[in-house]
Amino acid sequence: MPYIDFQHVTKMFGSFKALDDVTLGIDEGCFMTLLGPSGCGKTTLMRQLAGFSEPDKGDIYLNGKRVNGLPPYKRGTPLVFQEYALFPHMTVYENISYGLRLQKLDKAEVDERVNKMLDTFNLQGMEKRFPRELSGGQQQRVAFGRALIMGQEVLLLDEPLSNLDAKLRVEVRSELRQIQKRLGITVIYVTHDQDEALSMSDKIAVMRAGRIEQVGTPWEVYFRPRTHFIADFVGTVNFLDVDVVAAEQNSLTLNWGGLRFNIPQTGFNVGDKAELAVRPECISLAPLNGQIPEGAHVGEITFYSFLGRYIRYWVSINGQTLIVDDANPSLSGAIEGKVQLSFDQDKLHLLKKEN
Amino acid sequence: MELILLSKSSERINEMKRLKNEPLLLIAIILIVAFTIYFVISPVFQLVTIASPSDYSILVETPRWVRALGNSLLMMVLSTVSCTAVAFAFAYTMTRLDVPLKKFFRFITMLPIVSPPFIVALSYILLFGVQGIITKQLLGLQVDIYGRLGLWIVQTITFFPYAFSVIYGVMGKVSTNLEYAAYNMGASRWRVFKDVLWPLCRPGVAGGALMAAIQVLTDFANPMMIGGDLALLPTEAYMQVVGWYDMKTAAILATLLLVPSLAIFFIQRFWVGRRSYVTVTGKEISLKPYEPHKLVKWGMFAFCCFISLFVVTVYGTLLYGSFTKAIGYDWSLTFSNYSYVWGKWQQIWNSIKFSTISALFAALLGMILAYIVQKKSVGINGFLDFLAVLPSAIPGMFLGLSYVIAFNSPPLKLTNTSAIMVLALLFWNLPTCYSASNAGIQQIGNSVEDAALNLGANSFRSFKDVILPLLKIPFLSGFVLSFLRSVTCLSVIIFIYSPSTATGTTSILGLVSYGQWGAAAACTVVLIAIAFTVLYVAEYFLNKRGASLNI
Repeated sequence: MPYIDFQHVTKMFGSFKALDDVTLGIDEGCFMTLLGPSGCGKTTLMRQLAGFSEPDKGDIYLNGKRVNGLPPYKRGTPLVFQEYALFPHMTVYENISYGLRLQKLDKAEVDERVNKMLDTFNLQGMEKRFPRELSGGQQQRVAFGRALIMGQEVLLLDEPLSNLDAKLRVEVRSELRQIQKRLGITVIYVTHDQDEALSMSDKIAVMRAGRIEQVGTPWEVYFRPRTHFIADFVGTVNFLDVDVVAAEQNSLTLNWGGLRFNIPQTGFNVGDKAELAVRPECISLAPLNGQIPEGAHVGEITFYSFLGRYIRYWVSINGQTLIVDDANPSLSGAIEGKVQLSFDQDKLHLLKKEN
Repeated sequence: MELILLSKSSERINEMKRLKNEPLLLIAIILIVAFTIYFVISPVFQLVTIASPSDYSILVETPRWVRALGNSLLMMVLSTVSCTAVAFAFAYTMTRLDVPLKKFFRFITMLPIVSPPFIVALSYILLFGVQGIITKQLLGLQVDIYGRLGLWIVQTITFFPYAFSVIYGVMGKVSTNLEYAAYNMGASRWRVFKDVLWPLCRPGVAGGALMAAIQVLTDFANPMMIGGDLALLPTEAYMQVVGWYDMKTAAILATLLLVPSLAIFFIQRFWVGRRSYVTVTGKEISLKPYEPHKLVKWGMFAFCCFISLFVVTVYGTLLYGSFTKAIGYDWSLTFSNYSYVWGKWQQIWNSIKFSTISALFAALLGMILAYIVQKKSVGINGFLDFLAVLPSAIPGMFLGLSYVIAFNSPPLKLTNTSAIMVLALLFWNLPTCYSASNAGIQQIGNSVEDAALNLGANSFRSFKDVILPLLKIPFLSGFVLSFLRSVTCLSVIIFIYSPSTATGTTSILGLVSYGQWGAAAACTVVLIAIAFTVLYVAEYFLNKRGASLNI
């Protein structure tokens, strides 16, 4: 049995279905990200586990025990809030030690454990400050310390990085992941940021309109999205409308307006109309010199944007504009004019056409 | 649409059902609703219904009442226009111009709010009256200052600060970046004012105007002192009760006052309240305002200085007068007025006592209401919010008069007791405390209570450890504002005080009517001193915690 188990959880807000029959298992020690646009139910799902609201239907298990109906203060599911929710009238020390003090531990032990947290989160010397006297990054670290000091096996994170500036956010990602691995705790991480999800998670559950659309590793979710929505939400993608023209045992041949693709995928029949998801970095460009080779995919660059570590090109081909990323820009500037496109056929992914 | 409404109401019912799990909250709500109905709605209803529809025929028989209504409304319109204009000038000068004396102006706009209501009238008489310093001593004139013009001036000075605090709040929040955006697109100064600043301030100006209107309309003290023969509803109603013991006519006149007052309340709540643009701000750094033409700038400044000078003169005269032997006749200095005040110590002590007790309960009630309305879903949040602000629609003297009727006989006979004073002041101040608490509670993040629960505190602990300490500031601001209003209040208690429960303000009224100007001035100075002491002590504590009173 998974360490955390949501079984057929449904939650209504009035007539709005915030969670629609959600089933999700999370193994011990797993960093599970709930990813989705705002209003998809990701925070609601997490709050059911913390006990801030009760599901209308379904069961929630934590370490084999059903926790439905248990008040939040008996669940042992520390949560780091998006806006941190530090107690404004308490000092850093009082904030971090609050949970321990509730358990009436003796002062020496509280001090020792608080000090350990202050060390872990680089907050030494700030014990006596109030939250309003701290920077955003420091406040956030206090929030982490306050949640982790109880030594629980679980940690819930509700978009904890969204109030930090861009650079700090990237730094904290790796720190957070390292702390999680070191402590071996199970984490549920809620975010709408695909970069955060991809860079930190063991598993990602992509949510949409109260349902989970896919659960998988970052690789699976990125390269083998189950739906159009996921392909689109997780990263940038080109969609090509294709026809399946041949289906072999291990591969499919696709026709895109006269151009052919051969991909190692199954599950489609000849004559199916489908959608091919192509990531911008799975296409490479080469300048065309004179003659055009037989069957080559030829396009014309209409626009580009230089981002330092890569150049993004907009290439017009087959009456459509594709986004193509060149990950190693040359010193001499961008390519212009007609180009030959080659597709990394292993990474192309065919999706069933949705209505 | 119907479906949405249905689901909304079913959601509300669900919320109400959930209250079973929080008995303390449920009891609190039931008590609050019961008390507000019993002490606000029911007395008002009793007073309105004391006269039957046929009794209203006296309005036809006595043209004086119709004239009083007309005068009251006319005075309201005139004073509202002048109050709003002065308030706008002050707000514009203080938010948009780089001129000196801004702190002084801020002080000037606070002064009348924390003073007894008749102080301007009293001082005006000392300055311009028959024995006035300016009219008689300086100019040797004999003029009649009582009546419409005098009252208009006095009402403007007394009540423009109420309009100011609303307009100032709104104008200060309109980002100057918006004005720069318009300049950037080629708009002239006048166009920017007309197209950007003015439309954005309009809801604030309207709100401020209504605020002043309701104060002027329901004011009792200034017309009493300076109205002269001018018939106005509040003073006429007072005469009916005190002079003729005619409750029915008084009730009819008070009801005539209640109707426009309620109308203003509803306009404020349902029309102006929904037309605010202030929330459009994001994270931004506002630039220094781009100033208007020099003439406009220094013209505004001069205007503010003139008004300020007037206010300073008003207070200065009072202070000076309180130390003279016989105002108008013998200007030699003396402390005898203050020894007279010492004789009125019982009344001043009553003021402090009633104000403190009523403010404690009003602040507590206001705070609990604000907390429930904002942080709990109980299905009737909108109704509770309405109950909390409703007393602000009821003129103070109407509330007082209604208490005379409602608590004159068992089951609850309160006539001549201290309790009736405290209760009337309590409910009269409820809206003030409620809004003061609202502002503070908005600052409490929604998740701190969740955070405490999450860390292992049960509901009781999380309320005690987190919510209660955070409510201290909202409570304190409510308490102070309520105390200031009570200590300087006359209209609410004018009908319900007895010899043993007379207060500072009622004795000042008595002194004035006996022509004891010096003693009245001294008494007023003492009341102001008490008010300012409390105000500054509270400001000191609030500032230490990074909060401030919103006056």
